[in-house]
Amino acid sequence: MMASRDWLDVVGWSESFSGWSMDNVHNIMPSNDIDMQVTIPSTWAWQEPITLGPIFNMQSGFASIQPALESFMHATIMCTVVFTTMMLTMLAIPYIERKFIGRLMDRLGATTTLRSLWVGESGVTAGEWWKQLPFGMGVPIGWAVKALNSTWGNSHDLETIARVNNRSYHGYWFLLPGFFQAFADFMKFATKEHIVPKNADKVVFEVAPVIILATTVMVFAFVPFGPHIYAANPELSLLFMMAIFGIAPLGVFFAGWASNNKYTLIGGMRSAAQLTAYEIPLLITVLGVAVLSGSFNIIEIVDFQMGQDQGNVWNIFLMPLGALLFLVTMIAEVERIPFDMPEAEAELVEGWWTEYGGIRWGLMFAAEYMRSYAACILFALFFLGGWEAPFQHTLSGLPVVGGVLTTVFSLIPGMIWVLLKAWLLFAVFVWIRASLHRVRTDQILEFGWRYLLPLSMLNLVIAVFLRLQFWTGEPWELWVPVAVTLISGGLFVILAIDEDKEALEIQRRPYSTQAVVKASPGSHRD
Amino acid sequence: MSYKANTGHPHATPNFRNLVIRPMWMTLKTALRTVPFVGKLSILKNNYHGKPTTMVDATTMLRVGSNHPSVGQSFAPDRETSQVMPFVERPVTVMYPYERLEDLEPWLFVPGNYNGRIGIIWETCTACKACVKVCPNDCLHMTSEVRVNVLELTEEGDDHHGYGEELEEGGYAAREKGDYDGIASGFDLVNAHTDAPQQYDFAEVIELTGDKATVRWSDGSGIETIDSSTLKPAEQDIVSGQIDIGRCMFCGLCAEACPFESFFMTNEYDGMAEFSREELWMDASRTRVLPAVHQERVDLELAKRAKKEQKKRDRKAARAEA
Repeated sequence: MMASRDWLDVVGWSESFSGWSMDNVHNIMPSNDIDMQVTIPSTWAWQEPITLGPIFNMQSGFASIQPALESFMHATIMCTVVFTTMMLTMLAIPYIERKFIGRLMDRLGATTTLRSLWVGESGVTAGEWWKQLPFGMGVPIGWAVKALNSTWGNSHDLETIARVNNRSYHGYWFLLPGFFQAFADFMKFATKEHIVPKNADKVVFEVAPVIILATTVMVFAFVPFGPHIYAANPELSLLFMMAIFGIAPLGVFFAGWASNNKYTLIGGMRSAAQLTAYEIPLLITVLGVAVLSGSFNIIEIVDFQMGQDQGNVWNIFLMPLGALLFLVTMIAEVERIPFDMPEAEAELVEGWWTEYGGIRWGLMFAAEYMRSYAACILFALFFLGGWEAPFQHTLSGLPVVGGVLTTVFSLIPGMIWVLLKAWLLFAVFVWIRASLHRVRTDQILEFGWRYLLPLSMLNLVIAVFLRLQFWTGEPWELWVPVAVTLISGGLFVILAIDEDKEALEIQRRPYSTQAVVKASPGSHRD
Repeated sequence: MSYKANTGHPHATPNFRNLVIRPMWMTLKTALRTVPFVGKLSILKNNYHGKPTTMVDATTMLRVGSNHPSVGQSFAPDRETSQVMPFVERPVTVMYPYERLEDLEPWLFVPGNYNGRIGIIWETCTACKACVKVCPNDCLHMTSEVRVNVLELTEEGDDHHGYGEELEEGGYAAREKGDYDGIASGFDLVNAHTDAPQQYDFAEVIELTGDKATVRWSDGSGIETIDSSTLKPAEQDIVSGQIDIGRCMFCGLCAEACPFESFFMTNEYDGMAEFSREELWMDASRTRVLPAVHQERVDLELAKRAKKEQKKRDRKAARAEA
């Protein structure tokens, strides 16, 4: 199989850099043998003189541990790169959450974090703090702020509307209002006091966030951001990753139990209860992906979707059912609405993390988003072709523009596509959160066991069938993904337009009445 | 998921379409409306439940002038937009009483789940006053009087003889007072606004045996058995039925007490706010419910009365034979 590649070969760079550095270390070692032997002359006790100590060569000695050192250095670099990439690109995730949900729910809320402190709104400029600066240093700041306020401030011709718009400011997208809220939040959490409840199980209480956070970060070790950006790439990275992904609910249960609070306990219990409902369908769905792509290695799964000579179709077109199941079960796995019963803030104050505060709460919150982010990236990798541009091969093969597009695609590193797809997927998560209501415990159990599990088995059967019947080692015949997508889409539409015709007919109820004579003479009705 | 609830509205049925597809489409539409240019597509533009959202319409512009700041903006009374993004609207309020929730968003409105304004089918009311007696807040008021309905007094040879009222055990009877004509002629029709000429002595019929009738006089003079030919049938009629809706707590006991399917708690929730307490006294016309709305109840009641009527005629025929 021809592995996909792009110019952003971070793994290669790291390897060559490690090799180069270690070679240099090797080269500056003294190359001559160092004789540290001491010979003890013979005495009456021993006839032969005894030679103690080594004759050693630092260079060749170093050479024996150089591969290990190189891989250690490489691993360190790649862990740093991947973790940094993850943390930096994850800044977009809470931003998407806040901004998109405002638009989805028609609540374009206050943008009062850094922007309104800096620019102010409606002529109000945060107390003109620049006047406090010495030596008139703040004068240019004042000019800038006032200019920004008058240009982009939230004003309206009608003063009342301008005031009200403090609540409903729509924002200018290029100012990215609120983007750095995550930093502000982190600073807030980091400076807060650490409070442990009096009756909590102290050890478990402290261990639980570590379990959650550590396993969450560990998931990203196996999640490639691009063909050459990953911390670890074992043969069975899919299995490793899914195994580690499933540990965090254990930490959730620990936290809920150890906090010794009724809300946290219920939250932890719910987490454990719903675990059984989604984890099995999730794993079977992922198994379907592995079967279809013929590998347990995430990078090979992506390569299969974008390979010229083997697969050439994104998995979502071959198993839309699997994509849907993966989406649903992953939402349950990362405990987002509509499956966020463990932290149902309407019923349980904050669910299993009610008792946590300060940086522990902040880090667990970050871990929640990391898990969502990982779920989005995994969806992109499993179903949306990973680091392949949409219809890259088709577009590159177009007669006139194909050459240009090939060049363009070769210039764009694959990580860009992964991130775009992941962010888009997260927008879908947010969309679902804004639209659907939280389900009950019994509902998710019924949903998981009676619908998700059989459907995931069906998906596995479909994957096996497709793999055995229609895959010959050649690229997929075009009609296969088209047919699968059309059939699945048709079924979905039939399910979606399921309007209850009977309900239309029984609208009239025996006891609902309407007075014919309008009660109030001044009524404006009719 | 094939569970079908009798929710009375297709939008209130808990199926995949209503639980997933519809809400997701609604939120998506809301979000897409905030996108520049795309938000102006007509498929996303539902205005305000299909009505235009101009803040100042043509007629209003005549009054406020065409240079009013709101002119030309896509405002609705409850939908705020801004000049920066005029395609962003926020629906907040149902502009009751100009609009009503059940018209605009019927899926949010569950009819028949609450007690609203009192509605009465006066056509089938018999003035039994069971509702008045049961009302814990004394907000129902009914005046009725026993009177002789001359239209019911058909005599031998009239077209409708046999169809009118007749003496009945448990019913009312009236006997002309001695000075019958004198009372009528002495009555000041011009100045007497509240009184009626009292030409009859009324009584309750206790027993009818042959030509004799045992009656209990309403003036308290006791039980008497007299010749039934001296009596005319009388009936209790409603003079006025009023409800002090300001006192009503909508418990619905009155509707339960009604033995004639005439009394209902409707789902009307408006028309119960006025500027004075006096205006909250609702007369019969404001409580009227058309029989057509409750046709089955009216039919039931009519069948009951037809049965009674039939019984009466059978009895009469039997008497005639005897």
